[in-house]
Amino acid sequence: MKYKMNKREKMGYIFLLPSIVLMLAFIIYPVINTVYLSFFNYRIQTLSMGKTFVGLNNYRMAFNDPNFLDAISFTLIFTVVAVTLETIIGVMFALIMNKKMPGQGIIRTAVLIPWAIPTIISGLMWKFMYSEQYGVINYIFQKLMIIQEPIPWLSDAFLAGVATIIADVWKTTPYMSLLILSGLQTIPQNLYEASSIDGATKRQQFFKITLPLLKPVLSVAILFRVIATFRIYDLVAALTNGGPANATQSLTLYTIRTYFNFGNIGYGSTLATITLLISLLISLLFLKSLRAKLEKV
Amino acid sequence: MKKPITIKKIIVTILYIFFFVFFVGTIVFPFFWQFLNSFKTQRDLFSIPLNFWPTEFTLDNYREVFSKQPFLDYIINSFVIAGISTIFSIVIGAMASYSISRTRIKFKKIYLLILLSITLLPPITIVNPVYMLIKNLNLLNTFWGLALVNTILTLPTSVWFLSGFFETIPVELEESAMIDGATVFQSFYKIIIPLVSPAVFTVSILVFIASWNQYLFAQILNPLRIRRTITVGITLYQTDHVIPWGTLSAASIIVTVPLIILVLILQKKIISGLLDGGVKG
Repeated sequence: MKYKMNKREKMGYIFLLPSIVLMLAFIIYPVINTVYLSFFNYRIQTLSMGKTFVGLNNYRMAFNDPNFLDAISFTLIFTVVAVTLETIIGVMFALIMNKKMPGQGIIRTAVLIPWAIPTIISGLMWKFMYSEQYGVINYIFQKLMIIQEPIPWLSDAFLAGVATIIADVWKTTPYMSLLILSGLQTIPQNLYEASSIDGATKRQQFFKITLPLLKPVLSVAILFRVIATFRIYDLVAALTNGGPANATQSLTLYTIRTYFNFGNIGYGSTLATITLLISLLISLLFLKSLRAKLEKV
Repeated sequence: MKKPITIKKIIVTILYIFFFVFFVGTIVFPFFWQFLNSFKTQRDLFSIPLNFWPTEFTLDNYREVFSKQPFLDYIINSFVIAGISTIFSIVIGAMASYSISRTRIKFKKIYLLILLSITLLPPITIVNPVYMLIKNLNLLNTFWGLALVNTILTLPTSVWFLSGFFETIPVELEESAMIDGATVFQSFYKIIIPLVSPAVFTVSILVFIASWNQYLFAQILNPLRIRRTITVGITLYQTDHVIPWGTLSAASIIVTVPLIILVLILQKKIISGLLDGGVKG
């Protein structure tokens, strides 16, 4: 029997090997490489001269770079607003989906449509809907007498941000609501029955039973949404291309441009490292729920 | 216990119907609108005020999708790359899940921690080194380079989901096979794999859709015209001055309709997959 255990363990290590090789090549080495290059002056245009060590210069440069500061503040505001809306609407949606009412099959299928559509395509869809002259959103708003004149959704800096948030909420709230629904379904029904015998109102039940018991699921869902929203790229690439005048240039979009359009690998790496550090900080905020997730495996 | 119909109940039902129509309408509308536009003529698309319904029905937009760009190539590329990514991710993920849930190896926690950090890692952090690596391996503009990147990015989904399923299979099944003389590897693919095949199917859908929707790496690793994927190709119909909305609508309908049919058929499996991978795991 002992012999078999050892054989089994050997098999276990062999089975892990392919994924470990992939992790080393495509995750660990690239992360180390990016952090390393962030301390160098390294450009495509002067590739033959190689790279020169500049210490923290790139980081100092970043915090004096208005494009970077705009990108980071857009990305942070975008993340906070979008995820807050997604969470609130997601909870509402999940509560409705949790009701024993007819038509649930339709809702659950509809909910998967935005999730399944590639972000880049949903960005293009919304771009046309937002069009000032030919867009259906202005058309509907005018029909409903909400607005008199067409709104320049994508050519006004503030409105372009609002438009991006709406498109993102449309795309990702369904997924969020499914996650929350799974949490709702783990709450024992008899808690509600017992509390209503004790005379609790629906509102009290929501704040005293539903929300506290939903917290573990909710915090994991929010963490993953914050992390994913913070890396926003596809949507702005399709919808606004960072415009107007870089108003919706996300951190990832600016970094991609720094790398591939401006050929500045050193500075690009610095921006990528800062993105990594912020993601790390966000993850640390959720350490408790992450630990619970790891323990369950 | 049958409750009598009360005014309150009627109000709740009306509210429910209102929410139902509003939510389902909001979710489905952009897709529906795109569908209508794909059959409109240029005149209808760019009329002021706009024509909600097409006054004339045309298939020109669909023809232009294929004549303006090698869209069929894009579909094939996306399909092959997502297919390879799925097979890689499932095979490698199943092996890893087996050793995590079935063997007493060391460093399990560290392995899982790295796996979790892949899902938390912003892709932009690895873009440049991955690009250089794929370039040095001569895998730019191939199926394999992008497929490898998709594989590692979807590996956490595969492992989380599959290891949960491996744990539900009783160890006795394997032990009795081994007493009958089966090797560890035989018991893995003759006993465990068939038992988890429903789970494998669910994860495959999730991984396939994730790979199919990949844009960032697809754009950087496969820029060559004949090697582009759909997500990259579809953005290239527009120029700085002209956005052919009819063509774009038709192209996105071509891409999304198969996905939506897939979702309709596999709804239950996808939902259970999303929930297990997202929260339980």
